[in-house]
Amino acid sequence: MATFSEKRDIKLALVVDDSVMQCKVLSVLLKEEGYRVFIANDGARGVAMYVKYKPDLVLMDINMPVMNGYVAARKIKSLSQENSLCPLIFITSMDTDQAFIESIDAGGDGILVRPFSPAVFKAKIKSIQRISDLYGQVKTLQQEQQKDAELAEQLMSGVIEARNFSLDRIGIIKKPAELFSGDIQLTALAPNGDVNVMLGDFTGHGLRSSIGAIPLAETFRSMTKKGFSLFEIINQINIQLYSLLPADLFLAAGFVTISSHDKTLYAFNAGLPDAYLFSENGTIKHRILSNHPPIGVLPKLLPDSQLNLLSITETDRVILISDGIVEARNEQGEMFDFSRFENAAIEGVISKNVCKSVLEAVEGFCKSTPQEDDISLIDMPCGGWEKILLGSQTMENTSGQQLKDMYVDTEPAWNWKVSLRGKHLASTNPIPMAMNQINEIEGQADHWQSLYTILTELFINALDHGILGLSSELKNSAEGFSQYFKERELRLKNIEEGCVELQVRHYPFPHGGRIIINIQDSGQGFDIKKYYKSRENILNKDALLSGRGIDLVEQLCDSLEFRKNGSAVEASYVWTLK
Amino acid sequence: MNVKKRTFDDRKKIELTIDGRFDFSLHQHFRDSYADCKENNVEFILNLSETTYMDSSALGMILLIKDHAETYNGKVVISKPNEAVSKILEIAQFHRLFTIES
Repeated sequence: MATFSEKRDIKLALVVDDSVMQCKVLSVLLKEEGYRVFIANDGARGVAMYVKYKPDLVLMDINMPVMNGYVAARKIKSLSQENSLCPLIFITSMDTDQAFIESIDAGGDGILVRPFSPAVFKAKIKSIQRISDLYGQVKTLQQEQQKDAELAEQLMSGVIEARNFSLDRIGIIKKPAELFSGDIQLTALAPNGDVNVMLGDFTGHGLRSSIGAIPLAETFRSMTKKGFSLFEIINQINIQLYSLLPADLFLAAGFVTISSHDKTLYAFNAGLPDAYLFSENGTIKHRILSNHPPIGVLPKLLPDSQLNLLSITETDRVILISDGIVEARNEQGEMFDFSRFENAAIEGVISKNVCKSVLEAVEGFCKSTPQEDDISLIDMPCGGWEKILLGSQTMENTSGQQLKDMYVDTEPAWNWKVSLRGKHLASTNPIPMAMNQINEIEGQADHWQSLYTILTELFINALDHGILGLSSELKNSAEGFSQYFKERELRLKNIEEGCVELQVRHYPFPHGGRIIINIQDSGQGFDIKKYYKSRENILNKDALLSGRGIDLVEQLCDSLEFRKNGSAVEASYVWTLK
Repeated sequence: MNVKKRTFDDRKKIELTIDGRFDFSLHQHFRDSYADCKENNVEFILNLSETTYMDSSALGMILLIKDHAETYNGKVVISKPNEAVSKILEIAQFHRLFTIES
């Protein structure tokens, strides 16, 4: 706050002394130093004039009628504004230790013992004014810093985190140690309906720790939207933060993808405390341990890095925390630690309010101890995402069904084709490329989510079964499920030959269009009739760990046809504008 | 002053012992303890046996000394962290970047 005294050029001094003679002497000296001088002859009047004129300097006698100098000094100091130091000097003839100590106790910034020469007096005034100026500078800097921090905080919560996906279903605790938190929480929806979540903890606190937040959020969102896999996203964020941040600034982070239709959770913990997978009744099903140095430390992720794959059910919950929770201390200096956190989380899972339970436990433990580090947590359900996503899509497909036959033999408005051979099948993901084409030509839209799912499922089928020769029956047991992914990784690494061709054609309608996807692989195909027959006999398909992909694609397409003994597939997807 | 410096083996080994809390407040002092050592092939031993607590900025400071050491073909060894500090190093997976001697 800019006070009156900061704006004016001439400095004001207030002399409080009951001796008229003394007042005159001091006035002359102060005027020579360029001050405008006001005079009060007792303490009470001095306080009143201080309030009225807000001077830059106060000279105070000690022994005065009505109110003595100590009392007046205390009043003045209690009235002076936080943002400005009004230096107050006691002028006295009492040359005792006691007078000196009491003067400082009463809030005086200095004491000058009579008799003194004019030169000593002026020197004292200069020195005290120098301190006062420094104080003013510090205060100004502090205010600027505060303003920056507020701006950064606003940016973080108002811009970055307000764009998070599905805030109503994902519980978040965010309790910064300072105004601006080094912790960041991001959630985003992938085109296939997967939900990506990240909890990150930048080194340190305050503004310094926030510089990486914007590029991090941008990369996380845009790559999720384009359909890149979680691992590709982490890899890119690592490269970006490594080149952007100085060596001692990095991001400890946990990343999670919840894939509802795969019933799989993909997780990566780089430097955060254990993340948890809870079942509905509060049992800890799995702890996801940190197995990589924080993001931005190494130029590339370690060569053996990989995602954790966990099989999940609809009612499971996944919880990520930053170290501020487990390291929170109470008055005795004890840490909150993992066991207390786990108990609070278990209670929260059972009572269906993890955030409330954990926050109450931490606050109850720490009481009034000041918080040293940011406290943050993400709690999200593993199931229920499909309903939200499919709800909007089925409506769009209904009118398309009737239009289907009208456009069968016409030329497509555009078509896009890619074929991948050998090692490129392991290194290249053609789906984001295809989605990019569609977004570029037809514009971005939410309903491309279905298309993304169709493309991904069919491409993965061609690659896994056609090229890599993996049997999906492996996935029917929980052990086989993880074995399947291990085997897949191994075979992908050693891939030498094989080819997958992907083609996308678009036939526009007046208010929508039809997209035909053809995927063909160089594999052996499969017994289509036998496959459908085996599915018919199974009543509870949800309990199966395999074959869910094809079911999903069938729901999303208006037609799906396997050809060439199962090594080729054509899917048709019709969309209409709302 | 919580960083103690000891040089031995003909200046080829420098031991830095950090006493008590290893956090941001040590930043300048820690840096000063190695910044002027510009000889080649120096082994920096970070003795953490007296370190009671370490925060993430300390991890950053260790990465800075690693950068410095590697510039002059040297290396950094982390020595004798207690249980609490080991836990922090483990979460950050520092054993994959440094030799940690118990």
